[in-house]
Amino acid sequence: MNANLIQKTMGFNHLVDIKEGWVDRRIFCEQDIYEQELYRIFARSWLFVAHDSQIPNPGDFLTTTMGEDGVIVSRQKDGSVKVFLNSCPHRGNKVCFADAGNARRFTCNYHGWSFDSAGSLMGMHEEYCYDPGDIDKSTHGLKQVAHVDSYKGLIFANFDPDARTLEEWLGDFRWYLDILLDNEEGGTELIGGCIKSEINANWKLGVENFIGDAYHAGWTHDSGARAMNNGEPFPAVDMENSFHASVNGHGWEFGLEGMGDLVLLGRPKVIEYYQKIRPDMAKRLGEMRSKIFGSVASASIFPNLSFLPGISTFRQWHPKGPWKFELKTWVIVNKAMPDDIKDEITKGVMQTFGPGGSFEMDDGENWENCTTVNRGVVTRQERLHYRCGINRQVDDHPVLPGLVYRGQYNDANQRNFYQHWVDMMEAPTAKDIPYRWEPKFGGLETRDFPGLDGLEKGGK
Amino acid sequence: MTNGPVQAEAPSIELIMSLQQVLYREARLMDAERYSEWVEMLADDLHYFMPGIETRYRRDKTDQVGDTTRMAYYNDTLDDLKKRLRRLETGTAWSEDPATRYTHLITNIEVELTDQDDQFRVYSNFLAYRNRNERDQDTLIGNREDIWRRKGSSYELLKRTIILKQNVLLSKNLNVYL
Repeated sequence: MNANLIQKTMGFNHLVDIKEGWVDRRIFCEQDIYEQELYRIFARSWLFVAHDSQIPNPGDFLTTTMGEDGVIVSRQKDGSVKVFLNSCPHRGNKVCFADAGNARRFTCNYHGWSFDSAGSLMGMHEEYCYDPGDIDKSTHGLKQVAHVDSYKGLIFANFDPDARTLEEWLGDFRWYLDILLDNEEGGTELIGGCIKSEINANWKLGVENFIGDAYHAGWTHDSGARAMNNGEPFPAVDMENSFHASVNGHGWEFGLEGMGDLVLLGRPKVIEYYQKIRPDMAKRLGEMRSKIFGSVASASIFPNLSFLPGISTFRQWHPKGPWKFELKTWVIVNKAMPDDIKDEITKGVMQTFGPGGSFEMDDGENWENCTTVNRGVVTRQERLHYRCGINRQVDDHPVLPGLVYRGQYNDANQRNFYQHWVDMMEAPTAKDIPYRWEPKFGGLETRDFPGLDGLEKGGK
Repeated sequence: MTNGPVQAEAPSIELIMSLQQVLYREARLMDAERYSEWVEMLADDLHYFMPGIETRYRRDKTDQVGDTTRMAYYNDTLDDLKKRLRRLETGTAWSEDPATRYTHLITNIEVELTDQDDQFRVYSNFLAYRNRNERDQDTLIGNREDIWRRKGSSYELLKRTIILKQNVLLSKNLNVYL
């Protein structure tokens, strides 16, 4: 990161104390802190920008935001992906107004500056108006994002030239991600289109809800659970056999019962399908991960990507100021699934976790009120309680990597999310962000390891 | 949405009037959250569909309305819709208590005959206003294309395609039927 982007250190350590278990409410509302989040977190993190399946062919593109920076994600002729700012270097106008499509050129509406699918400046309207020496077209393309890389179909980009690699960023969280991305041969795809909605709440509230807040589900979503499951409330949580796991600020909370999320999707055919492939999943990913799959579970990748493995909603929380975010919702399915199963999953997701979904409908109002109450200057100085399960850390779990806590009702992943938030807010450069969990699977294909206990054997 | 040609055989005034009344009655039931009565107006083989509409260039031929495998707010059978409605009956739908206040305005009603004697295509526009708590409010505007089927002395909704004019839904949820 360009050092001058990181302005004077404000000090953020005092805003979060995960050992005591509290978070200062000002991180959910103050404009100064939000601006620093854009510089220190969004401009230095690996951010999800697209799934491979959204832009399969050369010239396919989509537009999205990295923090509040608008970017174009563009598939190249050689199959690689470039990500560049959606802003003309001449006067700054957008050069693309569509959500997605296929284009050979992105042309600015203002003065007709035209860029190819790699973002290079190709020409402009009435080019003769520039004298020799006025402009070097080769240096006036759309600004490229420093790094683009992908993990099993998910394309990430990072503005920070000094960033660690994507593999280092995801670290051992890859072991968990395989449950979603690699549970069947062929990998995943997103269903076409995208549902976007706007919620007047701080972006972190959505992320922390998915990273670890199983606790809210049984209460907030009692009505949704009963609607989807013949009047039955949420299944009771087995506090012995359920966990929080956190790596580098990413987190996954999960049971081991294998069915909870599948039942909530409300689609018997989908349950049948997964039960059919589960034995193969166990061979592919090991016993533990095949049990995690389908259980009541939720997960987020730091800073702003979330999903429910088993229910198959896949979503990103785009910050729009401290008081607002835009939620993009997709459906993630396995490529190998027959069309009718993909269709069943898509309908089930939109019935549960679309804006009109029986679960989603009750979340927005909570998050909005958690944010807007902080308009009060006295209210915003009150600390929030994050101590649930603070003494339940499991040291040296034989199978599960990461910072592991027992009991799905827990604030552990949320605490570790905010620890990573502080770590990034404080770190002068990306290399200074501490590892709270030293990677054990560095350079290895995590799919091949049923768990930490398989490491000595070198995988299956 | 289809744009049928002006028909040689026009629907009768009586038919137009009776279908208009059906749409108004439906709107009144939705305004009052009288969903059990609304469900009675829906056919067992209902398809209730509201696709998500992306912003795409004119040259882009992606079929955002006709392709029902893409992302949609609603892509429901009658059973699916009943499941959504069941949430309200649980008494624990917290974000509906206090109740949301609704008004549906239905306009631009146009009736067409179809090649099925007992089915009628009905176009309409809607403005659905919601207000809750102190000052939460939003307005949803769009078009609908329906097929209504004669059932006894009245009609039942067989198919509805809703095109909402928002790209980003400017609301925290969609606890409303259109």
